[in-house]
Amino acid sequence: MDTPLMDEDADLTHMVGGAPSALADNQSVSPVAALPEVLCKRYKVERLLGVGGMGAVYRARDLLREQYGDPEPYVALKALNEEFAQYPDASALLYSEFALTSRLRNSNVIRLYAFDIDPPSQRAFMTMELLKGPTLDQLLAERPDGLPWVECQSIAIPLLEALECSHNLGVLHGDLKPSNVMLAANGLRLFDYGLGQPTKGLLTSLPRLSRSRIAAWTPRYAALELLNGEALAAPADIYAVACVLYELSSGHHPFSRLTARQAKAMEQDKSLRCPANLPPHCWPALQRALAFDPEQRDIDASGLLDAYRAPEPSLFGRMFGRKRG
Amino acid sequence: MAPGRSWRSAGRTDTGKVRARNEDAFLAQPEKRFWAVADGMGGHQNGALASRLIVEHLAELPHRDDVDQRVKDVRRCLHLLNRRLTQELTVTAEQPDPVIGSTVVVLLIEGDHAVCLWAGDSRCYLWRGGTLFQLSRDHSFYEELIQEGRIAPAQAAQHPSARALTRAVGANETLTLDLVEFTVYPGDTLLLCSDGLYQEMSTDTIGRGLSQPSVRLALQQLFELALNGPARDNLSAVVIRQ
Repeated sequence: MDTPLMDEDADLTHMVGGAPSALADNQSVSPVAALPEVLCKRYKVERLLGVGGMGAVYRARDLLREQYGDPEPYVALKALNEEFAQYPDASALLYSEFALTSRLRNSNVIRLYAFDIDPPSQRAFMTMELLKGPTLDQLLAERPDGLPWVECQSIAIPLLEALECSHNLGVLHGDLKPSNVMLAANGLRLFDYGLGQPTKGLLTSLPRLSRSRIAAWTPRYAALELLNGEALAAPADIYAVACVLYELSSGHHPFSRLTARQAKAMEQDKSLRCPANLPPHCWPALQRALAFDPEQRDIDASGLLDAYRAPEPSLFGRMFGRKRG
Repeated sequence: MAPGRSWRSAGRTDTGKVRARNEDAFLAQPEKRFWAVADGMGGHQNGALASRLIVEHLAELPHRDDVDQRVKDVRRCLHLLNRRLTQELTVTAEQPDPVIGSTVVVLLIEGDHAVCLWAGDSRCYLWRGGTLFQLSRDHSFYEELIQEGRIAPAQAAQHPSARALTRAVGANETLTLDLVEFTVYPGDTLLLCSDGLYQEMSTDTIGRGLSQPSVRLALQQLFELALNGPARDNLSAVVIRQ
């Protein structure tokens, strides 16, 4: 483990206003080997694809598949960052993600291949399909005015289907956000169930990520109850997906990129309007999904899906329908 | 300049004598006339991951003949990574505001047209006709103090936050990249490097290193000199010549 000496702090690169971060707790951890270049004598790590708060995803070449002439012997490989890998139950944490995601057989949820531990380094990792295509954050960066309805609907429906399937099978995602959704060549994929949890009473023998020990979230997509330390439940995923859906239509986050706590304090929900690109018939559902209070967030993935699937009302219907805002 | 004349480069990164980990990364794609150095920052493995993420994403950019398009590609890539490392990063209650970022200096050349983009204090130098020019200006507190004219360089250097960065990929929600365009001539030698290489080295020493007959020898000399010194930080450099 890399424990910087105090006297080298002056040489650490750091930002104005921020001191070099120190280890928070090194009581119950043991040193961990760096991720080897080849894992299990089979997967050659080639490129870093993404970094999360707890893990990193790499592109790796599956040497076995290559040996058998597979023209596309590539996989995505996820390993925990060294900071987390050093905890004694880190492998169990990654296994929990593997077990939860493996339960989900849905064409819009990432397909996992295997969970394994590299014997020499004792590093746990899992392999999964390597996806090619932009993630939603990439798409949003290029489309600051949001997407027209038909395009938005073509993303919203498979995304909500993936979430509906997860919830129906008792799996909560826990960290839904634009960068965890990819528009792969053969369809949308929801991925990174690293903060996922089984619904209460389901999969009780599975190691659970203890939120009291590792409380984690992405600030702008975390529901108020998560920020307040409550356990993950389906409404938190609904809040997160609603933020993503709003962003797809408008090009910007519903609460000016504030956290739910900040937005609630500023009563931002009162000034929230239906994005211009979103048909008004979807707005009541989306607005309910964006409620700060989980009690008022009384809509599930199926309810949102119904709204997004519903045909636009006729002109007559629109004239006498609910007004925007 | 004869069109199509090829560029040569040599790059190297070293942990230095004090650090346990190397958080620097470099890119050398002379066939695409594309080079970069990134110096990561953050606790644990974060700095190393950030600089690697940047360099490996830049490496995958397609080659195009149009410089403006290439600059756009680089900008888009770095802005997206900045968004990932700020707005999209999963954080923990223990560390709600983690530092995971990196400086970056990028050089791309097409014909005799060169463009350098950067954020942070990794630098681009040009060695031309026996003179060393620093083409990039550090985004550091020290540099800001000097530019504002409020304080003399010697005083600024004593400021406890003198070396703290004011810009980097992953530091703020909005990334601002600086850019300098220039014409390259035969005989020019360019250097991209992290602060670990230049901080203990005078401009004369850097110039002497870059005047070596080949890019490999130049790089070797710069590293020998840096590693003979205290080498408290990671050090990385790419030397580029036609």
